[in-house]
Amino acid sequence: MDKQATLPEFRVLKKYKIPVLPYGIAKNMKEATEIAARIGYPVALKLISPQVSHKTDVGGVKIKITDATRLRHAYEDIMENREKIEVTGVLVQKMARKGVELIIGGKKDPQFGHMMILGMGGVYVEVFRDITARICPINKQDVKEMVGELRTHPLITGIRGMRPINLEKLYGLMVKASQMITKEDMEELDLNPVIFDEEGYDIVDVRFSK
Amino acid sequence: MRKDIANLKYVFAPKSIAVIGASDNPSKLGNTILKNLVDGGYGKKIYPINPKHKKLLGLKCYEKIEDIRGNVELAIFAIPARFVPDVAESCGKKGVKGIVVLSAGFGEVGEVELEKRLGEIVLKYNMAMVGPNCLGVMNPKKRVDSIFFPFYKFERPKVGGISLITQSGAVGSCVADLAAYYDVGFSKFVSYGNGTTINDADLVEYLSADPETKEILLYLEGTKNGKKLLRMLEKANVKKPVIVLKAGKSKSAGNAAKSHTGNLAGDYMAYNAVFRESKVIEVDSVVELFYVVNMFSQELPKGRRVAVLTDGGGLGVLTADAVESEGLQMAEFGEETREKLKQVLPPYVNIGNPLDIVADSGTDIYEKSLRIMMEDESIDSVIVIVLFQAPAVDSRIIDVLVKESDRKEKPIVVVAVGGNYTKENRRILDGYGVPTYGCPLSAVKTLRRITDYSLFLRTRKR
Repeated sequence: MDKQATLPEFRVLKKYKIPVLPYGIAKNMKEATEIAARIGYPVALKLISPQVSHKTDVGGVKIKITDATRLRHAYEDIMENREKIEVTGVLVQKMARKGVELIIGGKKDPQFGHMMILGMGGVYVEVFRDITARICPINKQDVKEMVGELRTHPLITGIRGMRPINLEKLYGLMVKASQMITKEDMEELDLNPVIFDEEGYDIVDVRFSK
Repeated sequence: MRKDIANLKYVFAPKSIAVIGASDNPSKLGNTILKNLVDGGYGKKIYPINPKHKKLLGLKCYEKIEDIRGNVELAIFAIPARFVPDVAESCGKKGVKGIVVLSAGFGEVGEVELEKRLGEIVLKYNMAMVGPNCLGVMNPKKRVDSIFFPFYKFERPKVGGISLITQSGAVGSCVADLAAYYDVGFSKFVSYGNGTTINDADLVEYLSADPETKEILLYLEGTKNGKKLLRMLEKANVKKPVIVLKAGKSKSAGNAAKSHTGNLAGDYMAYNAVFRESKVIEVDSVVELFYVVNMFSQELPKGRRVAVLTDGGGLGVLTADAVESEGLQMAEFGEETREKLKQVLPPYVNIGNPLDIVADSGTDIYEKSLRIMMEDESIDSVIVIVLFQAPAVDSRIIDVLVKESDRKEKPIVVVAVGGNYTKENRRILDGYGVPTYGCPLSAVKTLRRITDYSLFLRTRKR
C-alpha cells in the first residue's frame, strides 16, 4: 500500500465527491511558496517519495507553517540529505482544522464482502479499540446507529459544553466512502484521521489498496 | 427455498427411518441410535440396516436399503466415511428424502474429494443432508433423535419452542442437556457438522419458516456463505428472535493487514457487523443463551425505563448501577404512583427508585407495591429483588409474582441471590415462566438485550 497522500488517491476521492484539503505538488521552493500563497496559511509540507513510507520517521513532514519565511526553512529542512532517495515532489497542503479525530475505514471481508468501520481516532482507537462496523452498502440510518455504538460517542454528539460535530456531514462521508470502496473494489481503505468540528471535516490522510 | 432445504421437513419429522450401520454392539454408534429411537418412543417405522444381522432389538434387519419395500423418508448414516457416497446414491434411487450423516472422515481430515462427491450425489436427488461429521437432529415432539449419546448421560429436553442450530456437536449437546436440566423446551435441534450442502444460513432460512420454532439459537464458528447468512438473519429476526453465540472472536494470528483498518477489524469484526445489522441478540456465553431465552416468557418491554423493587437496599443499588452501565434508565415515578405507594408503605420507607421496602416487609407489601408499579405507564419493566433469606418473606411471594407475570402487562424479572433455598424458589418461579437471575448484572444485561430487540421490532413496525 502506498503510504502517501499523493494525487491519484485524492483523484479517486474527488470522483465520489469526497472533499480533500486544498493542496498542490511543488517541484521546487518557488512552486511551494506559490501554492501556499494560493491555498492560504497555515500549511503542511509532506515529502513525496516512492522509497519513503514513514514520512515522519525521516523528517519528511512539517506542519503548522504560518508564513513564507517559515515555509522556506521547512522546505530546506525537508530536502536536506535527500540525494540518496528519489523525490517526486513536496506536497503543500492546507492545515487541517482542530476538532474530534475519527478513523473511517473499510475492508473487503472474504465472507461478507465490503464493510465499513467507524472509530474514535487517536488514543481511543489505539487503547480502547473503540470501533464499530457494518457490512456495505450502508445508509444514513446505519451510520447513526454506528455513532451510538461507540463508547465515546458523547465526544461526537456533544458533552459538557462541547458542541456536537456536524453529524450530517459524517453520515454523508460514510455513505460516500462505502460507495467508493464497493465500486472501486478496494481491499482496504483508511481515511485516518478525519478531523471533525461543528462545521465539517478535513481528511488528513488517505490510503487504500486494490 | 432450495428443494433440498425444504426437504428438511422429512429429516425433522419423518414417517420412517432407516438406520444404516445399525448394530448389536453397545460400543457402536449404530447401536445407541437404534436403541434411542426405540426407547425414545419414535413409534413409527424403523428399518435397521446391517448385512450381518437378521434382527436387531426385535426389529427386522435389512441387508441394504434397496431391500426395504416400504417408503423410507429419513436415513441415518453410522458407517465409515468411504462407504457413505455409494449408500447415499442408493438412498437417492430409493426415493429417500433426507439423510443425516454422522460419520466423520471427510473434508475435516483432508478427504475433500469424498465430501464433494457426497454433496453432488445428495443434490442430484434433492435430498436434505445434515452433516457429515455431526450429531444430527432431534425433534422432541416427533421423538426423532439421531444423537448417539445415551439417555442416562444426556437428558433430552422436553417439547418447546426453541430450535438450536449448532456447528459443534459438543456445544450443541451440552446446550440441549442443560436445557433439559433447566426445563427449557426444544422444538428442533440440529448439529450440521461440515455443512456440505446445508449450512447455518440454510438452517436459519428453514427454521425461520417453521411455525413450531419460536426462538432460534445459533452457535456459530464460521460460515461458508456470509451473504446469505446476513440476509437470512435479517429475515428471521423480525419474525422470531435469533440468539447467537459466536466462537472464535480472538484475533487470528498472522493477520497480515496492510492498513490501520485491516489491523483493527479482525475476522470477528465482520460477524459483529452482521449481528448488529440484523439486530439479532448476541450473547457471550452458553449460560447467557438461557438467560435470554428465559425472558421471552415475558411481554416485550415498550421502553427503557426500569423500576426496581427490593427488600434489600444493597442489591437495589447494585441493580441501579447495572441499569445505568447497561444503558437502560431508572424510571421516574409519577406523582400518582408516589401517592399510592405512600398509602401502602410503612412511613419509614423512602419513596424512590429503587424502591427499598426494607427487609421486615412481608409479601403483602410486595404485592401492593408491585401492583402500583405495574399500573404506572412511565415504567416499562420491573425488576423485583427478593431476599428469600428474610424471615418476613413467605412462600406466597411466588403466587404474587406469578399472578402479576400472568397479567402480561409488562415484563417482570426476578433477582434472587443466594444458596440452595433461594435456588429452589428460583426454580419454581422459572417453571412458572417468571425469569429469575442469580445476580443483578446478569438480570439487567439480559433485560437490556431484550429491550434492544423489542425497540428494534417496534421501530420496524412504525
